[in-house]
Amino acid sequence: MNWVDLISTVSGGNYMEVERILKEYPYIAELADHLRDQKMKVIENLDSYVSMTIKNVERLGGHAYLAKDKDDARKIAGEIVGEDKIVVFSKTNVAYEIGLREYLESRHNEVWETDLGEYLIQISKGWPTHIVAPALGMTREDAAKAVKKIDPSIDENSKIEDVVAAVRKFLMSKYVKADIGITGANAVAADSGAIALVENEGNIRIDTVMPQTHISITGIDKIVPTLRDAMDEVMVQSAYAGLFPPTYINVTAGPSSTADIELKRVSPATGPKNFHLILMDDGRMDASRDEELKEALLCIKCGRCYFSCPIYRVLGKDWVSTKSPYNGPTGVMWNYITNKDPWPASYCVHSGGCKEVCPMRINIPEVIKYIKYIGSKSI
Amino acid sequence: MDEDRVRKQEALIKSILYRNLMEDYTPFPLDKKLAVKWANGMNIPKGGRVILYTSYMYQMASVFKSYEKYVPTLGSLGKSRILASIGSRLIKPKDEDIDRSVRILQNVYRMVSRVKADVGYLYEDEPYSGSLLYELGFLDEFKEYGKKVLGFFRDRGVEEIITVDPHTTNTLTNLKKYINFDIPFHSYLSIIGTVKGKGKFVMHDSCLYSRFLDMYDTIRDKMKSAGVDLVEDPTVTGKGVGFCCGGPVGPLNADLSDSIAKARAASLKSVYEDVLVACPLCYVNLEPYCSIKDIAEVIE
Ligand code: SF4
Repeated sequence: MNWVDLISTVSGGNYMEVERILKEYPYIAELADHLRDQKMKVIENLDSYVSMTIKNVERLGGHAYLAKDKDDARKIAGEIVGEDKIVVFSKTNVAYEIGLREYLESRHNEVWETDLGEYLIQISKGWPTHIVAPALGMTREDAAKAVKKIDPSIDENSKIEDVVAAVRKFLMSKYVKADIGITGANAVAADSGAIALVENEGNIRIDTVMPQTHISITGIDKIVPTLRDAMDEVMVQSAYAGLFPPTYINVTAGPSSTADIELKRVSPATGPKNFHLILMDDGRMDASRDEELKEALLCIKCGRCYFSCPIYRVLGKDWVSTKSPYNGPTGVMWNYITNKDPWPASYCVHSGGCKEVCPMRINIPEVIKYIKYIGSKSI
Repeated sequence: MDEDRVRKQEALIKSILYRNLMEDYTPFPLDKKLAVKWANGMNIPKGGRVILYTSYMYQMASVFKSYEKYVPTLGSLGKSRILASIGSRLIKPKDEDIDRSVRILQNVYRMVSRVKADVGYLYEDEPYSGSLLYELGFLDEFKEYGKKVLGFFRDRGVEEIITVDPHTTNTLTNLKKYINFDIPFHSYLSIIGTVKGKGKFVMHDSCLYSRFLDMYDTIRDKMKSAGVDLVEDPTVTGKGVGFCCGGPVGPLNADLSDSIAKARAASLKSVYEDVLVACPLCYVNLEPYCSIKDIAEVIE
């Protein structure tokens, strides 16, 4: 099936599934509205929410850092990881944004993506097609061809289940030896320093508890006022991604701990000894101060707007440059925020479906119009 | 995407478009005799308090579609040579396209006349709205040109404007926002009374009407009450998923525009074989790939 036909089928399916979820769980739309207001509070006052978050992560016995740009973030992560380590990654867009995997590999670390889609992209040396489903452009045959490289028992006729099992077997052998687990965060609660992550595969749960060090790297835009808001965000994100209820929701608040003896909470316990949160600025703070751009920071990366976009549905991942893991309508906004590249906005056909389906009600065409304007002013 | 190519094309369009508009009120040199042909013999007053505003969209839709092709040529011509080329093959729509636009605009005028008396038309003096400037993101130029257009309408005593296409309606909406364009305007579709129509179609919504001007239901209600049967599929014609004909990206990349049109036509045809549109640009983009009609060809 060619890309246009594939994405057309996938988009129709996603649209109907999200509509069904919203009908069946009517509280999701209410949570989304409330979340928008809460996220806007943070955007209006990002500086103080960043400080509050850092203070509360440290109070939990974790370490928190504010990285001002890509270089800074790579350096911070590189110092924590060190060299000659085994690192397991769960899907994190910010790691892509800063080229973290390649950077750690260049420092003699063995790095493995553990999200199935990301893993397929890694071993086939590709680039994510979609933020929620990175290997969306790959067929069963493509996946089998890639996995054959690590498991010769797989060939192009293998069933999807067999391909998945082969990857699982391979990754299990890495998990048990992994020194460091690196994840993103769907939301970071300023009031408590806790992070929330949503997933279906179970890899994040393993990445966050098996290795003795857990690093979460995420954007400052992921900060929400409270842990309750963080839980709302994972629920809303998974629902609008069309994957509700999600199989797993993970909350990490500092290193592992126990209060089993005399009810005195001590750390570490069985899970990681160390927890590090790297909060990434990389243009986000500037965007929060730009009236025309700041709405983009509301994005919870559900990926729904991709499916409503005619340009994405024709160009796929060839639209926004590979400097950016973000594509589709939100990618046009985020590629500008993080790379100051206005040109993908020029292709926007103001179809407007994106704003209709966005759970955060971001006026995406209006933000893109502004980015177009910035580009056109420079010529 | 090829960002360099886009940057160059934008630079070229920006200079040509703005220059043409500020000098002649038209986005490219066009044969005005063809543009006003629809009004011949209709006894339409020239100007007046209330006007029907075509902004050349129906008459020149096929030229707008080929803008990417024309731009390099127009860019290399000096003004006198551009003017000399008026009426030549270069910027002249095909006869059948003009004839179709004549039928459509005459029908629109007749429907409007039933609810409004003495609707005028500016004939050769009519200014283009500036849609292309807005849609390509040339906002400074858009505001500048918008002020000129507003002044032009005011000088001619225009007090009310009736638009015939979504791009112009959306452009006036944005002029209102950006430069306080204070002459009231409405789409003909929201003012015409009871109309009659027939046929069975799948509706390809204009993005602007349905998702920017809040007319998704207005148009459907109008069609249904006229007796036109619309076949729906929420994954193709739903408000959040019904997508563009590809037109707006045409000036920058005609191939991409065409690929979108092809994809859109294929999904529309999976719902029903006959497609209905409400925009002249949607029509010219989708027409090579499906059986298609404009709303103003099925209601009267
Ligand atoms: S912009 Fe809206 S629809 Fe698109 S990914 Fe972000 S939250 Fe989802």
